Amino acid sequence: MKVSLFITCLCDIFSANVGKDTVEILERVGCNVDFPELQTCCGQPAYNSGYVKEAKQSMKQMIRAFKDSDYVVGPSGSCVGMLKEYPNLFKGDKEWEEDAKELADKSYELTQFLVDVVGIVDVGSTFNGRITYHPSCHMTRILGVNDAPILLLKQIEGIEFIELPVKEDCCGFGGTFSVKNAAISEEMVKEKSQHVTETKAEYLVGGDMGCLMNIGGRMQREGKKVEVVHITEILNTTD
Amino acid sequence: MTIQNRDQFLNRIAASLGRPRHTDGVERPKWSVNPQLEVLKGQTQENLIDVLEKQCKIIHTVFKRTDKNGLEQVLKETIKAYNGKSIIVPNDPRNEQYGLLNLFHEIEQRIETHIWDYTKQKENQIFAERADIGITFSDITLAESATVTLFHHKDHGRTISLLPHSYIAIIPRETIVPRMTQATQQIHEAIAKGEDVASCVSFISGPSNSADIEMNLIVGVHGPVHATYIVVD
Amino acid sequence: MSIQINESPFQERVQKGIENDFMRQAVSSAQGRFRTGKLTQAEELGNWEDWRQLGEEIRKHTVENLDYYLQQLSDQVSRRGGNVFFASTAEEATEYIQNVIKNKEAKKVVKSKSMVTEEIGLNHALELGGVEVVESDLGEWILQLDDDPPSHIVTPALHKNKEQIRETFAEKRGYTNSDKPEELASFSRDQLRKEFLSADVGITGCNFAIAESGTITLVTNEGNAEMATTLTDTLVTVMGMERIVPTWEEMEILVGLLTRSAVCQKLTSYITAYTGSRLEDEIDGPDDYHLVIVDNGRSKILGTEFQAALHCIRCAACINVCPVYRHIGGHAHNSIYPGPIGAVLTPLLDGYQDHTELPYASSLCGACTEACPVKIPLHDMLIKHRQIIVEKENKAPTAEKMMMKGFAKWSSSPAAYILSTKMARLALKAWTKDDTIENGPGPLKNWTNSRNFPAPSKQSFRAWYKEREKSGGAS
Repeated sequence: MKVSLFITCLCDIFSANVGKDTVEILERVGCNVDFPELQTCCGQPAYNSGYVKEAKQSMKQMIRAFKDSDYVVGPSGSCVGMLKEYPNLFKGDKEWEEDAKELADKSYELTQFLVDVVGIVDVGSTFNGRITYHPSCHMTRILGVNDAPILLLKQIEGIEFIELPVKEDCCGFGGTFSVKNAAISEEMVKEKSQHVTETKAEYLVGGDMGCLMNIGGRMQREGKKVEVVHITEILNTTD
Repeated sequence: MTIQNRDQFLNRIAASLGRPRHTDGVERPKWSVNPQLEVLKGQTQENLIDVLEKQCKIIHTVFKRTDKNGLEQVLKETIKAYNGKSIIVPNDPRNEQYGLLNLFHEIEQRIETHIWDYTKQKENQIFAERADIGITFSDITLAESATVTLFHHKDHGRTISLLPHSYIAIIPRETIVPRMTQATQQIHEAIAKGEDVASCVSFISGPSNSADIEMNLIVGVHGPVHATYIVVD
Repeated sequence: MSIQINESPFQERVQKGIENDFMRQAVSSAQGRFRTGKLTQAEELGNWEDWRQLGEEIRKHTVENLDYYLQQLSDQVSRRGGNVFFASTAEEATEYIQNVIKNKEAKKVVKSKSMVTEEIGLNHALELGGVEVVESDLGEWILQLDDDPPSHIVTPALHKNKEQIRETFAEKRGYTNSDKPEELASFSRDQLRKEFLSADVGITGCNFAIAESGTITLVTNEGNAEMATTLTDTLVTVMGMERIVPTWEEMEILVGLLTRSAVCQKLTSYITAYTGSRLEDEIDGPDDYHLVIVDNGRSKILGTEFQAALHCIRCAACINVCPVYRHIGGHAHNSIYPGPIGAVLTPLLDGYQDHTELPYASSLCGACTEACPVKIPLHDMLIKHRQIIVEKENKAPTAEKMMMKGFAKWSSSPAAYILSTKMARLALKAWTKDDTIENGPGPLKNWTNSRNFPAPSKQSFRAWYKEREKSGGAS
């Protein structure tokens, strides 16, 4: 299976490891991975702030970058969710409409791809530890991916899985919201941190880098010992 | 009666919707799903009574069951439990069928009773306001939500089930349907046939309550503080 | 405008909300109860998504044919002995109602809870005319005694605790008992019963008007709407023009969605469905009945991308799941319609001028959209508002506009983008310590005020990938 990695700008710059893990996981389950170099950002920061014109410029770049791909797979529910919105945004735009739809149709979030397309729940991870999982809002509500990450995690033998209280609540990231309405965002992430602490988990796992930067940054500031990790890191532990 | 400013108002709506005014010929579409028809579908009357009984617990309502012969006794017990010294009922042919008139005759020495009489005008309301107990028959009973449906008319004032301190609903077994769907369907069909709906239809589920103070449920805010349902076989 | 409740700047209101410990505790525990309560209700019902689908279809059809159904409704109300007044503005509505009261020489009006009368500022207008107005919903009455605006559309006094309520009762009505909710409620019952019996005119809102029969449906637990419609000889119903359904059958569906979503109940204690004036020889109910149908900006929403906002059934499910509402409360929104639906509706009804912050006060988590029983895409509408604020209203801050222009250049040019992945770490080096930034520059400061920010990776992903390809690709 030929898969193009959609790295997402956050992982590209801040979490190169997530990208490496994604590549290795996909290869381990038998995919042929390539990395289209012309890709940039999905456009969400501009789109969600109301700058549709500006957002469309990056969207067009993404459409161009993945023109020749069979599958586009990324380690983020939110960014892939944005790709899925492209057809709505280019509706009626003859030049881009069709390509936008094509990209949306072939794009998947990593865990969704593994479970629904590759059809695998055991990716050969040997991770040991007590974990809890934060289902990010865009992963679940926008993209509709609920079970895939949990199936993959629960499959791992050394894992003790603890349910996060009120897990569906937003962590307060929200992209530009976190700086534009920092006071509200702070209260939201404080609450999330509290809930994570209540689980007594050693690891907080998530599938969206933005949320993890937010929760991790807060927990670090509070001096809490929990390690905040992207799900790829767990799935790619094989020693 | 008067209707003011209608055309200008509705024309503006049509203009905003970007089309000419719709004055007739609008039909309800066939809805793509009808989940309301599936709730408690095909249940026996006995099962529906079970559902009703369980729901009564949730809505703080006492559930009792008897037959026509036993009704008098159950009513007496309930009136006693509510310390009822005055009772108001509608002028309902079922009063006689179900033996209420006999009962009232028997207790009239101890308990003041009032049968709604529209010729007495506001006196009816005044009695209802100071009555301990209001008793009515349910016209349609909704098992799912433990709701009695009352169609009010000149012999059946709205205040009977509303102003007294306690409320007793007598529920003839055959009035029980799965849910509100069946009740509103009946009403809709009657209207479609050209009948006029009652000036007030009340769907009552247990005593009045409120959660406006710190979200604590308090029973009995404006209407009755206590409610009892008596299913009669 | 009466839709606004507060004049201080948005961030001040937010801060005030965040510092209000009692309010936050109350909202948080209320939201917790709703969470479990609604899950139970939806589970018991089964096919919750089918119910939402049906709710949406009904609302969509009705609003698309609103002129037809309002015509039918008004014909029926008139046939059943009621007067119908179509009010284009808040002023027209209040003036009409003032005249009804004047003609009756009425001194006291008793009301059951109605958001649209809050919206048109009815109480204030009537009081200016020397009429005593008594709110009969317990929560509304508490707020009225204390001259405090509602903070929630279903439980308006959610932000008040029982000690505060006791004090209000003591101060305003000579209450001498404890702060036990039962005692407070019992006192209210006695007080309000007197008000009902002595009122000359009743005013109610409308949950759902039924076009086919001219019926108004009111949904309450307290029974106060049943009281108001039963005990007063003159009755006025005020309805927002979109609060209508074709027939009794659709009323039933929407009432079920409303009670489950608003208070986690199968039905509330009272669903009162009244039609026109009382009939001959009836004693209860009004002999003089008026229905006031209010536009007040709603028709401007029709035909726009926000039309579905008029599908709202005012259940507050979106408010009850909103994390932003949980932390800042209703008053911070500066609208009688708070929470997600408020952030969508308020700028539409009252203009963007005083409400530019509202659409941004959301993390776009989508909990509201997921909770809405008639599937209004609330968070998408917030994005649409932001787009209008940026593109049409031109109210975005200059610095932000510059930044977004920069973003577009950066993300549409792979060369610029790739360069930035290489330079990011260096650019932030001055603020980085142990791979973490605790005091960021510029806009990052807002972030680092309350949390750490990670330093960019030593090697960007694409640099790693390139190296790996050079050395032969996959191992």
